[in-house]
Amino acid sequence: MPIISVNHKQVHIQELNKGAEQTVVLIHGMFSNLSIYYFNIAPILAKHFHVVMYDLKSHGMSERFTDGYDLESMSSDVLALMDVLNLKKVHLAGYSFGGLIALKTALKAPERVSQLVVIEAPDPQDEKARNIIDEYSKEFLEHYVANFTDTTKVQMGKRQMEKNHRMYEFLFEKTSIKADMIREKHFLGEANFSELNIPTLLLYGSESNCKPTGEWLKTQIIPSELELIPGDHNVPIQEPVQIAESIVHFLSQSLSNALTQNHG
Amino acid sequence: MDTINNTLQLNHEELFTLLKGFITEVIGAEFVEEMDITPDSSFTKDLEMDSIEIVSFSEKIKAHFGDQIDFTGWLSSMDLDELINLDLLMIINYIYECQ
Repeated sequence: MPIISVNHKQVHIQELNKGAEQTVVLIHGMFSNLSIYYFNIAPILAKHFHVVMYDLKSHGMSERFTDGYDLESMSSDVLALMDVLNLKKVHLAGYSFGGLIALKTALKAPERVSQLVVIEAPDPQDEKARNIIDEYSKEFLEHYVANFTDTTKVQMGKRQMEKNHRMYEFLFEKTSIKADMIREKHFLGEANFSELNIPTLLLYGSESNCKPTGEWLKTQIIPSELELIPGDHNVPIQEPVQIAESIVHFLSQSLSNALTQNHG
Repeated sequence: MDTINNTLQLNHEELFTLLKGFITEVIGAEFVEEMDITPDSSFTKDLEMDSIEIVSFSEKIKAHFGDQIDFTGWLSSMDLDELINLDLLMIINYIYECQ
């Protein structure tokens, strides 16, 4: 397992096609890990780009930490990871909360982001997402798994239930994640997207509860396009090939436009 | 490098033993003791491996066999239903044919 040290934190990363000229860094969502990209999306992107995936702190196989779950810290983590890997400028793609981290990183260090892909980023003001954290209990997890994971077709056995419960228990009871996420409640409203002059692809599920956020972001980020893909919030699991191909198409198209402008 | 001498072709039984060892390293001996791992064991249902554990397992296969096989490429050609139903024998057969 490639584990690297970033700011004295142990971070699990996976890289594909290291020799490629341009790099895409993929950021997963809260309570998930890099496997959301590893099997289907990353191999397709790697036909064209150097692909870097990493596990967020306390997720997947990265080291556990008790604090730093706000977007400021999480975006600093992305930049520090890029420094360690000696990546000056990359394409950044994030899913769900990872999409918010990607947006925050682009706002903070626009000179280091060539193009941006935001997949199913939610509005942190949405109370449904925060209620999950406030009301977390093991019974909640069992109920959630029994009723709401049907669209990903994955069923959880006893060992997985225990493993997930331990992760949620750690995150919700031993870390600052709750307070950090509440602090980000107004992130979208307060961010100044008019200054964000980075070509942005917004990918949302056509049946997703988050779709209005995608539509709103399209009005805020001027060089952006919104593409709807059949599915709900779990669209990277439901339609990984279409997600990957849309990303490749967008990144390649914008690059050829930029080249035409430079030479035109 | 973890890559071993690949000129020796492993038979089905040796591959099963090797892969069982990888699974034990990934999910822990204490869980494996409670399970009866056979070539028919499915990854998600019987072994209860989640996707990040399958990532670890894939990395061990890559480290062991090197460029000899494209395990991740093979997995990426499967849809979700095929991945959920993946069992050890399918992997053993795949690696056997690639050797």
